[in-house]
Amino acid sequence: MRGREHPNGGLTRIALLIALLMSSVIVSLQRGAVAQKSSSLEMVSQETVAPLVSVLAVPLGGIEDFFEGIGDRFSAYDDNQKLHDEISVLRERQAHYDSLANKVARYEAILGVDTETGIPLRKIAARAIGETDGPFVRSLLLNVGTRDDVRVGNPVMSTQGLVGHVINAGPNTSRVLRISDLNSRIAIASADSGATAILAGDNSALPKLAFINDQDKWTLGDRVITSGDDGALPRGLLVGELVRDKAGNLRVKLSSLSERLDWVWVSPYQKIKPPSETDIEAEVETEAGVSVEAVDAP
Amino acid sequence: MTYFDVQPPIGKTWPAIAAGAALLFAGALSVTGLNLFGVQFGFGFIPLLVLAIWPRRANGILSIVLVFFAGLFTDWAAGGIIGQSALLFVLIWGVLRPELRSSPFSPINMIVIWLATCGLAVVVLSVSGVFVMGIAPDLTAMARQMILASCLLPVLMLLRKVISMRLTDYDDWG
Repeated sequence: MRGREHPNGGLTRIALLIALLMSSVIVSLQRGAVAQKSSSLEMVSQETVAPLVSVLAVPLGGIEDFFEGIGDRFSAYDDNQKLHDEISVLRERQAHYDSLANKVARYEAILGVDTETGIPLRKIAARAIGETDGPFVRSLLLNVGTRDDVRVGNPVMSTQGLVGHVINAGPNTSRVLRISDLNSRIAIASADSGATAILAGDNSALPKLAFINDQDKWTLGDRVITSGDDGALPRGLLVGELVRDKAGNLRVKLSSLSERLDWVWVSPYQKIKPPSETDIEAEVETEAGVSVEAVDAP
Repeated sequence: MTYFDVQPPIGKTWPAIAAGAALLFAGALSVTGLNLFGVQFGFGFIPLLVLAIWPRRANGILSIVLVFFAGLFTDWAAGGIIGQSALLFVLIWGVLRPELRSSPFSPINMIVIWLATCGLAVVVLSVSGVFVMGIAPDLTAMARQMILASCLLPVLMLLRKVISMRLTDYDDWG
């Protein structure tokens, strides 16, 4: 079948110019836009792509396992030696921790301490079917969505630690903003000293610390966890280890970046909502009513 | 404009549709990648392979429309800057102008064209990314994507040749 237009015709050039202009306008409109907003078109595309990527994940996983196996074979002897050494150290620590756990449990029972950290016991297992590691975006595509009770804001963990949080949840898929992404900001704390800061992603493997409280209390090698101060994530999720870059800035070596992400889990944690004005007014009215009743009573 | 004063072929619809479908598929692949030896190699440059070997018999206007929407689809699917891939794809198609080629690429020319495509992609992605997000791009991530796509170039060219020779007149694709 022959087309109507000759390739050298002006129509192709005009169409090309229009397409270029439209693309440029769309890109310009993105300037300064908040990346965490997602359109329904984005969700539909995500849902369309998910089955294909799920199917491809199997052969791709096979290729990754093959190359990983080669690397593992080369380092098997060294790894074995390291594990032997670690086991002997861990046995000593285990005995120490057991005695400490007993002691802490006794103290908690005496003081009636609330040990709830806010981390839900329920976990939604998910497969990371897609991983975007582009020049500007660090995100994951999971094969679970709102049908599995996944909600926007839920933290996503791997066996190594916190991976990120859900920014977009469709019926069957959800997109996770990784903590290394430029748009990611989470409240963190040092598990050793309790000092807090904000972990600001910058698309590098080592996100930087911002708004650091108690600068002196941060020491290299500190285990970094979520502080829960932002109300968006529960306290106590492992994030990584504190390191210093060449420029002397404090950064975090993310524990979740140390492994290939395949299976992860989503914690159905709900954000802590601030009290609304109506809630406060209702509470004040209730308290006032109780006081009046108390005065009226004989 | 023609190359070597040879009149290029008249555009056909179905090569454009086939190439558009391949571009959509490649765009869908952009959301994933390969993790080899602890390093993530994204599939973000694979759509550019499809653009580099776009059939010269494909109808021009239809190609532009398909390339533009495949770019938007890629951005939506990958959660990137909306319009960035559309701009990149259309620009690369506009520079290569496959419908103006009078003969298929030789392997050497193909490599040169591919490297030029990669160079243009790095510039467009960097400039548009800095304009929208205000930060420098992760060039190492782009380099990894480029390496992976470059490894797939001969495979894809062979696949295209086999399909075109088996199913159709090879000249329609060249």
